[in-house]
Amino acid sequence: MRHPSIIPAFAAMATALVLTACGASPTATGGADTDAKGAATAKAQAVYDRINGLSGDERHKTLVELAEKEGKLSIYTSNTDMDDLVDGFEKTYKIDVSVYRGNSESVLQRILQEQQANYFGNDFIDTNAGELNIMNKEGFLYPYQGELREAVRKEGKAEGWTASRFNAFVVGWNTSKVKPGEEPKSIEDLADPKWKGQISMEVGDVDWFAGLYSYYLGQGKSEAEVRDLFTRIAANSKIAKGHTTQGELLSAGQFAITVSSYSHTIDKAADKGAPVSWHPASGGPIQPIIVRPNGVGLMKTAPNPAAAMLFTDWELTEGQKILAEAFRVGSIPGATDPFAGLTVVPVPEQELLADPKKWDDLYAQVVSAGQEVQ
Amino acid sequence: MSTASPAVTANRSAPLNPRRRWWPTPKLIIIIAVAGAIGYLALVPLYYLLWGTFFDAQGFTLGGFATAYGDPRIGSLIGNSLWFAVGSAVLSLVVGTSLAYLNVRTDVPFKALFFAASIIPLIIPGILYTIAWIFLASPDIGLINKVLEPIFGTAAVDIFTIWGMIWVEGLHLSPIVFLLMVAAFRSMDPSLEESALMCGATRMQVFRKITVPLTRPAIVAAVLVMTVRSLESFEVPALLGLQNGIYVFTSRIYFVLRSYPPDLAAAGALALGLLVLAVVGVAISNLVGRAGKSFQTVTGKGFRPRPMELGKWRPVMGAAIVFYFLLTVVAPLVVLLYTSLLKFYQAPSMAALRTMSLDNYAQLLNMSQAATALRNSLFLGIATATLVMAVMAIAAWITVRSRIPGRQLIDQFAFVPLVIPGLVLGLALSFVYLRSPIPIYGTIFILLIAYVTRYMPYGMRYSVTSMQQIATELEESAQVSGASWWQTFRRVLLPLLAPGLLAGWIYILVVSFRELSSSILLYSPGNEVLSILIFEQFENGQFTVLAALGVVMVLTLVVLVTVAYKLGAKVGLREN
Repeated sequence: MRHPSIIPAFAAMATALVLTACGASPTATGGADTDAKGAATAKAQAVYDRINGLSGDERHKTLVELAEKEGKLSIYTSNTDMDDLVDGFEKTYKIDVSVYRGNSESVLQRILQEQQANYFGNDFIDTNAGELNIMNKEGFLYPYQGELREAVRKEGKAEGWTASRFNAFVVGWNTSKVKPGEEPKSIEDLADPKWKGQISMEVGDVDWFAGLYSYYLGQGKSEAEVRDLFTRIAANSKIAKGHTTQGELLSAGQFAITVSSYSHTIDKAADKGAPVSWHPASGGPIQPIIVRPNGVGLMKTAPNPAAAMLFTDWELTEGQKILAEAFRVGSIPGATDPFAGLTVVPVPEQELLADPKKWDDLYAQVVSAGQEVQ
Repeated sequence: MSTASPAVTANRSAPLNPRRRWWPTPKLIIIIAVAGAIGYLALVPLYYLLWGTFFDAQGFTLGGFATAYGDPRIGSLIGNSLWFAVGSAVLSLVVGTSLAYLNVRTDVPFKALFFAASIIPLIIPGILYTIAWIFLASPDIGLINKVLEPIFGTAAVDIFTIWGMIWVEGLHLSPIVFLLMVAAFRSMDPSLEESALMCGATRMQVFRKITVPLTRPAIVAAVLVMTVRSLESFEVPALLGLQNGIYVFTSRIYFVLRSYPPDLAAAGALALGLLVLAVVGVAISNLVGRAGKSFQTVTGKGFRPRPMELGKWRPVMGAAIVFYFLLTVVAPLVVLLYTSLLKFYQAPSMAALRTMSLDNYAQLLNMSQAATALRNSLFLGIATATLVMAVMAIAAWITVRSRIPGRQLIDQFAFVPLVIPGLVLGLALSFVYLRSPIPIYGTIFILLIAYVTRYMPYGMRYSVTSMQQIATELEESAQVSGASWWQTFRRVLLPLLAPGLLAGWIYILVVSFRELSSSILLYSPGNEVLSILIFEQFENGQFTVLAALGVVMVLTLVVLVTVAYKLGAKVGLREN
């Protein structure tokens, strides 16, 4: 009690500490030792360029040799099927793989934080298109070239990264609530008041919305007409949060139809025996199907660049089979193309990247306008 | 630590020995270390939050406030948020306090059930608890509605309303109140109530006029924590409110943080609103708790809590407890257990029963990181709970007992992390430790720092509340008898604080198993925790595996908490 000003003094000291630790602004780039970044980049780039310039057996042999010499690989991913891919890779090559997995937002934030601090935590990245585009814009990624990339579906040959699989947004339904023959035929059908309270929309599916919205504009509908269509669908809808919850509730019969489920969510549930489907008894599924690529990228500052490239090759070869077993749509069309003959529309990634707020707000408006109609 | 006393003696004689006058005493060192730690832990994320709120690439801005509060529907957002938060706080207060009172102060039957009834809703991850309630009380597929249908017609209860949200959130939060109030009632001298009864007061009057006023610090603390918590809650409003267009503040914040770049300004503006509320709340709580000796029921006079006889009300209360237990614990847990045995959720039927298997549990066993994650979660849970309660016991002494100027700041700082979104905390910590020369980034210790920061506010409330009930005369007599500050703290205060400290310890242990929002950014391969596995199963659409994981978590934590309770019997959290 004889220490009158300990605590204010301490608060001041702690503040000073924090201020020095943080520098002027926590959002500014680290910048202190850009040399470290330059050196790491030059080293990785030499490997990438060498392999990108080779082809066939020679490329594979050189790559395996270099990668096994590195012996390690660090992956950051939001891909939920990564375990099987890594298991197979580790069995085939003498390389230890460590995997950080989070949602796509935390994968992106982690890489942004690490790169700003010149901390090169990962070699390889596997996540959603939106986040990959941002990383490419930030200059974190190095192009991957070769025969495998050439084989990828055209929607998946992005600048700076390469698609390995597609998420397909489909209209799904509970087959005990929607009898065969009574399925909706088109997205416009879902605006019919007979579906009131039977449909579910997902609160965060802005990219699906942007894809469909742009598609209808391209079909000659006016902005007002498209908004009206979505508002009327929203008026029939219960809003869910998260595709997993929504999928489970669709199986359980909480609603009859979901407008933007992932095809693999429905296929997986159907495989377990749940009464769900996105293929009607007769005719094709509801179209257009909005697709969003997920892909892989090579880090410019990778400590293990050859291993990162070898894993990219792996994901585009053996990986495609593993993905198919998990009901995912691979990026290299195999003997059976699940999209053959269907109208497939990619998410307008660049537009979303340019003005994400516009689309967030528009979707929120449409959903709430629909709910007020109820 | 027994070496402390000679040093103190040396200091006492300091005036005789001028050279040693400025030597710090152990007391000073401990106080400075604790104050410094709290200040540091709170200021790092707060600084990051403030910077993100008020500065963007162009300089100073208030744009975040416009985004956070400038919604055309702001009126209904605030209305819904407050209704939801106050409703949940009141429900959890009533439920938690009643259960605690019955458990500690009366001879109510089935006391063993209390423990389960009060802890299990806390253990079940929020998302599972909420979805279990959808399966129970949805107007379309709810099992309770199916049971009630013959009597009340279709859709008797509807979980997708503000009342449903309050119900789920209130029950999920009630364990915090229960633990706080159990500790408070334990430290209350029942002779005060007995005298009132002797003087002819009714039980209700005693409860209103004696019991409630005496435990006011704990009640204020509970209301404070509950209100802030439910204002921040996202899972319940997202899963139950959105369906029918009931939006709260956090629904907005979810969107500003998930878009790129995350709108830290808007998230910060909301957090600052909560911070103002919290600062006022902490100040009120201290004002109430400081009101002289009125709450100091642990005095030099010995007492032994004796249970009040309920008489003819005993069977009624017994039945009420069983009913409550069945409804809030058994029902959701059975739904989870049932789901964990299925391939996908379907209403119970012969066909469903035939598909039951232990496949989901087998899948858990095969999961590569399950064992590592369990080990890491155990380490982090136990270490966080122990560290937080140890530091907060001393911090509570500084705030409640010492007359050091600025002591209130410690309390305010310790409360700050409650309003900081987990993602912002994760960003702030990775920012600092990526640049720190000490290699903490990428190790499990960054998670430990995150957890200690996040759970500091709870630890502080538990400690302060207990401290306010202990009379100063006990310490004074120890010191008069020649004990040093540290000896007094360790031999007199700690044992008296034990019920509150243990309650806080259990709470933090349980909730740290669930922490996801900062863990997901900060963990590294090899440092996985259980909440990350839960998240992965969830992302992967493996809802039934998730249910199995939930069941395993409940079992693990029930065993752990039982052990803590048994040990706690020795220090007075439980009688006998």
